[in-house]
Amino acid sequence: MKLREVCRFEAVYQLRQVSTWIYFAVLLALSFLMSAGVLEQEARRGDVHIDAPIAVATAMAMISMIGALVTAALVGDAATRDVRSRMQPLLFTAPQSKAAYLGGRFLAAFLVNALLMTAAPAGLLLASRLPYVADLTGPFQPAAYLQAYLLIALPNAFVTAAILFSLAALSRHALASYLGGAALFLGNALTEEVVAEQMGQGKLASLLGPFGFTTLSELWRAWTPVEKNARLLGLEGSLLGNRLLWIGLALGVLAFTWMRFRFAHHSPGGRKGKERPGAGAATERSGPVAVPRAARAFGFGTHARQALAIGLRSFREIAASRAALGVAATAVIAVVLLGQAALSDSLGTPLWPATQFVTAFLGGVFFVEIAVAMLIAFYAGELVWREREAGLSAIADATPTPDWVPFAGKLLALGLALVALQAVQMAAGLLLQAAQGWFRFEIGLYLSVLFGLQLVNYLLFAALAMLVHVTVNHKYIGHLIAILCALFTVFAGRFGIGHRLLVYGSDPGWVYSDLSGFGPFLAPVLWFKLYWAGWALLFAVAASLFWVRGGEGGLRRRLRLARLRFTRPAAALAAVAAALILAAGGFVFYNTNVLNAYRTESEEAARRAEYERRYGKYAGVPQPLLTGTKLRVEIHPEAGQAEVRGVYRLENRTARPIDAIHLAVDPAVETRAVKLDRPARVALADDKLGHRVYALAEALQPGGSLRLDFEVRFAPRGFPNGEINTSVVGNGTYFDHIGGRQPNHRRWLPVLGYQRSREISDDRLRREHGLAPRSAARSRDDFEATRDPAGREWIDFEAVIGTAADQTAVAPGTLRGTWTENGRRYFHYAAPAPIRNAYAIFSARYEVREAGWNGVRIQIFHHPGHGFNVERMIRGIRASLDYYTRNFGPYPHRQLRIVEFPRYASFAWAYPGTISYAEGFGFLTRVDDEGEHLDTPFAVIAHEVAHQWWGNQVVPAGVEGAPMLTEILAQYSAMMVMEKTHGRDQVRRFLDVMRIEYLNRRNNRENREVPLLKLSDQSNLIYRKGAIVMYTLRQYLGEERVNAALRRFLEKNRAGKPPYPTSSDLYRELQAAAPGSLQYLLSDLFEEVTLWDLRAKRARAEPAGGGRWRVTLDVTARKVAVDGIGAETATPMDDWVEIGVFAPADPAEDGGELGEPLLLEKRRLGSGERSITVTVPRRPARAGIDPYDLLIDRDNEDNVTQIEVKEPAAGATGP
Amino acid sequence: MELRIRNVSKTYSNGVRALRDVTLTIPPGMYGLLGPNGAGKSTLMRTLATLQEPDEGTLHLGGLDVVKQKDEVRKTLGYLPQEFGLYPASNAEDLLRHFAVLKGITDRRAGREVAEALLRQTNLWEARKKKLGGYSGGMRQRFGIAVALLGEPKLIIVDEPTAGLDPAERVRFLNLLSELGENSIVILSTHIVEDVSELCTRMAIIDRGEILLEAEPLRAIDELRGRVWRRVIAKQELAAMEREHAVISTKLLSGRTVVHVHGDGQPGPGFEPVEPDLEDVYFSTMAGHHGAARALPEVEVTA
Repeated sequence: MKLREVCRFEAVYQLRQVSTWIYFAVLLALSFLMSAGVLEQEARRGDVHIDAPIAVATAMAMISMIGALVTAALVGDAATRDVRSRMQPLLFTAPQSKAAYLGGRFLAAFLVNALLMTAAPAGLLLASRLPYVADLTGPFQPAAYLQAYLLIALPNAFVTAAILFSLAALSRHALASYLGGAALFLGNALTEEVVAEQMGQGKLASLLGPFGFTTLSELWRAWTPVEKNARLLGLEGSLLGNRLLWIGLALGVLAFTWMRFRFAHHSPGGRKGKERPGAGAATERSGPVAVPRAARAFGFGTHARQALAIGLRSFREIAASRAALGVAATAVIAVVLLGQAALSDSLGTPLWPATQFVTAFLGGVFFVEIAVAMLIAFYAGELVWREREAGLSAIADATPTPDWVPFAGKLLALGLALVALQAVQMAAGLLLQAAQGWFRFEIGLYLSVLFGLQLVNYLLFAALAMLVHVTVNHKYIGHLIAILCALFTVFAGRFGIGHRLLVYGSDPGWVYSDLSGFGPFLAPVLWFKLYWAGWALLFAVAASLFWVRGGEGGLRRRLRLARLRFTRPAAALAAVAAALILAAGGFVFYNTNVLNAYRTESEEAARRAEYERRYGKYAGVPQPLLTGTKLRVEIHPEAGQAEVRGVYRLENRTARPIDAIHLAVDPAVETRAVKLDRPARVALADDKLGHRVYALAEALQPGGSLRLDFEVRFAPRGFPNGEINTSVVGNGTYFDHIGGRQPNHRRWLPVLGYQRSREISDDRLRREHGLAPRSAARSRDDFEATRDPAGREWIDFEAVIGTAADQTAVAPGTLRGTWTENGRRYFHYAAPAPIRNAYAIFSARYEVREAGWNGVRIQIFHHPGHGFNVERMIRGIRASLDYYTRNFGPYPHRQLRIVEFPRYASFAWAYPGTISYAEGFGFLTRVDDEGEHLDTPFAVIAHEVAHQWWGNQVVPAGVEGAPMLTEILAQYSAMMVMEKTHGRDQVRRFLDVMRIEYLNRRNNRENREVPLLKLSDQSNLIYRKGAIVMYTLRQYLGEERVNAALRRFLEKNRAGKPPYPTSSDLYRELQAAAPGSLQYLLSDLFEEVTLWDLRAKRARAEPAGGGRWRVTLDVTARKVAVDGIGAETATPMDDWVEIGVFAPADPAEDGGELGEPLLLEKRRLGSGERSITVTVPRRPARAGIDPYDLLIDRDNEDNVTQIEVKEPAAGATGP
Repeated sequence: MELRIRNVSKTYSNGVRALRDVTLTIPPGMYGLLGPNGAGKSTLMRTLATLQEPDEGTLHLGGLDVVKQKDEVRKTLGYLPQEFGLYPASNAEDLLRHFAVLKGITDRRAGREVAEALLRQTNLWEARKKKLGGYSGGMRQRFGIAVALLGEPKLIIVDEPTAGLDPAERVRFLNLLSELGENSIVILSTHIVEDVSELCTRMAIIDRGEILLEAEPLRAIDELRGRVWRRVIAKQELAAMEREHAVISTKLLSGRTVVHVHGDGQPGPGFEPVEPDLEDVYFSTMAGHHGAARALPEVEVTA
């Protein structure tokens, strides 16, 4: 009864607050924007409707996260209002139980919160009914919204309300509920990014993630587009587990609060301290009040001292609080524990905790930044409200300090708190390093990242947060708005705001690399920061003008006061700020929009469409073939520039005379001095779109050749708004011609003919730009395409490369000589035999490790201090060369080089005889010899060396299925080498990673499922499914048969003459190698997209006499064909499937590992249930169907089951 | 230097008219502002303390415009608000020295000396290291005065300082106030008549935003001499008494009711003359028998 009254009173009280309805409006607007911004964009890019049930639920989970701030405000107020308003003596002495008081308050706050959260479905629904998104919606499903609310928003409201209420009630401080909200947010980010992404524990993350967001994103990954659009969530599986776990936790926390809470007077001073008796009632003093005169001053110096005093005092208060201790402890624990998990490469193998990684983790990780932004917002609020909440504002406001002094002091305190936080983070980072035995502390790097770049960002946001709190003048709404500002800066891109001058605090980003330091990033970042510092100063001036002083807060009074306060110094400071904004902003704009072209995404697409419309007609126009390239390269690392003078030899290998040369040039570089060795005129020179036509005065006859001279200059002017080009940097220059380095199919050096790779490939985007749809890749049966030599030329190659005197330059071929000239070092490389037209140029201060293998010179060019895995790489090269030469054919070059490049990208790329390898992707990987983790450097090297056969000897036609001939075969080859050197378990571990990631990424729009024979650029299928399928093929056909087929395929196609090989050619060889009984399997693996559903339902064993055991295994089997958007059709099954029975696992081994197989044989199984009986020689423990996961099964955990062993009757057992 | 308040009016956004055309002239010395709760005392005090602005009228401290030259006024201002808190985790010495800096005493040694002197004067020296959260009401008020006295203020505003103090604390506090420098203007707002009678040389009575009386307490008492009558009655007679006479105040005494009545002559049988005190001035002013209309011109003359 009393509970009901407490609850009623509280609910009515909250509902009467204006702020409550402001929260509702904010949540409604946010939900609307979430749908109109994020979901709509997702729908435009993909196949998922904006009102798809899971999209609605995911959006709801995101709104829940922001809603946690509203919850924090509601429950923080409900739990601490009595203490703040000093009502507690009245209430605590009323005859009510703790349960009624706490329960009523909590229930009311939760109900109000639940009511506010209805804004989420309302806003989402509203936005999805806008007329202009009609083509992005599916049939209206009210259940989708209802479910999302009941399964996501409502439980979230309950859980957050319970936890945050408890924190506030027990600490009696509303700030605690905010910090709790931030912790939940951080917890979500950790499960999402660390547990799910980096540790690969998707299931665990699904269960643990607060808000259910991680659960939904795991489902999002697993569900096909068809499922996403139609399937309702349902309270089952991981979602049910997650909801139960958190609701259980919330109830536990409530119970704990109920037990711990006391109706007791809370002395805000905490422990009373040593109190001397009679301290209060002191002896009476006599005589008039006489205070010594003290000099007073009111100049600027005094004001600065006052601001400093306020700053130091406020900082001391923050630092001494228990909350700060909690924050610091959380930071240290999070960094040390999660740093370990975060510092791992893409295959889950740990990295050495080099300072560059640790600082990147501390300084650049999204969730760290958001968590800090939250802290800044909360503490800004605490500081702004400090005097008012202590009841001291009247006295403080009446002191003779100018209005800017308290503001400046508090901003200073916030700054000092941030410095302290960074110091804690730094200490945690050092601890993390030391704990892992890494003692190369780079204090300077820590200082420049944490106390330079990162602190500046935080300070900028601090100024904004202070302004928000001062102007909003409502603490809780202030928190909400400040954090929305922070989120906006992160997600501005999602709402189509692309220019960084428009997003507060933003910069073009930076990467620190051991090789090149901050490279070209520092200057642009600092210019941007200077510009934002201007804004921050302006914010500070505005905040001082609107600083609340004195009783009333009416808008009119504040405006009037602000006008009064806008004195000459304030105006001068505002003018300085404006000048800074204009000057630095102007300079940035000059760089991003004048020196460099600024294009929005759609302008860029329009440009590509224009290229296609204008020059598409030249596609397929006969062009001469490139047969020789000679380069003279001048690299100026310190200036970030390079010049290339080149000579191409072109031959007419067609049957017709050629009268015009089409050159595609890269608009990013300056292409000049193009000269032909015969009379020609420039018929067209469109350097904006990058197409030139040279009309020959006299046609080039079949068999004739010509020489083309050109000069290309790469000299970035200023800095762009987008990505900063890192091709030429102080130490670690790396650029290439046809390869992995240049993004967006750019080629600095001129290439011949129309470039199909520049066209827009996305169909929706093509339609928007008025282009006809086209398939992503051309058909295998396209006559022209399979004979197109562009990019498949074999060339004589020679290059002279000049670079700084202390650097080494690397290019393909044999090093013919090196010399010094004009204080620069020159390297002359020449390939003794023609190479594929794909090469890279490197220059850096390398250390070189040399080795050999059967006359092949092995060289590893690496950064000094990055030698950890060099021997491992050499072992990998040797083992790979051994296996590949024995099984596929000879290695065609005289050297094999591995060259390290800065970690601006994370990949390795195989050029003829040379492999580029990123700094963070193997050189600093920490491989243990116990085989607990994948040996990443070895695996990557084996893969790249395999490309010397698959990609650099066999060069596929530029049609669908091409990656099958390169990447998939390289994956296969690398697995074979790994199995030989590291054993089967390493390969199984590798395949486990591949399988989990493949299944998780199947339904990305970028990775639409197609049969492998039709692959184009779906990296998920290429690397992950490719590896799985090839291993399955090997297990069914046997290594010898597969390798023989590959050898035959290589021999037939090594010539490099058109028509170029396609996936059909490879498939034919594989078909020829497979027996008739397995042809169906090849079809399932390569021609179709097939999923199996195999399950071991039950297994029993009984003694069969003579120590043998009879095992009966009940299984079900099913197989489906899947199309591109995930629609499944059951197909008849009559497949060979492995059946296995296993001995008990060795207790020393991991529990998950299977024991020794007592029986492993392939059986033909049809669809449906059946029972299999086998006899094994020893006592079995587990049995299963397809126990080693050869066939792709979405749920492979039910493949193996424990055997129910029927003990033999006593006495019946033989010895 | 004197404080001149001219035609000051203030209406809050919720419609409450806190001050109506208030005009006062306050010379140096202890000045009492007497009025019931909600009379507008605190509004006037906050306005004087530069913390809010009047809708109409002007306030001048000597040559300074209190509304427009806030920073200048604050340099000579000591303010003890009616209700205030302290940072519970700080101690008196620490917080006082902090305020010393805010009041312009930036020299550390000078700050320490001033703080020590003030803490001794306010009898808080012994408790200077004690957490402020553990201070009693009286200690808190004394600490507030110490803060107000920092920087030799010329204008000291003390808003309802004795509310909530026990009798001993109150005496101690009033003693402290009485010793404040005579060169300063000290404005003491209170609803307790004794505070004014014990301390103030001048006073004003305010009710519902209006100044009803501005006077010197002694002279106001003189004026009332011979016009206050007392009678002890039974409780049930009170209603009739109020109908027939100009009742100033009623008090209980040992279960019976003592009535004070205003009258130029003997109001009737049973009444006896009383030597008036300030309480009679206050109540008769509040009751409208003595007040603004008549008193003000006189005050103007005597000012």
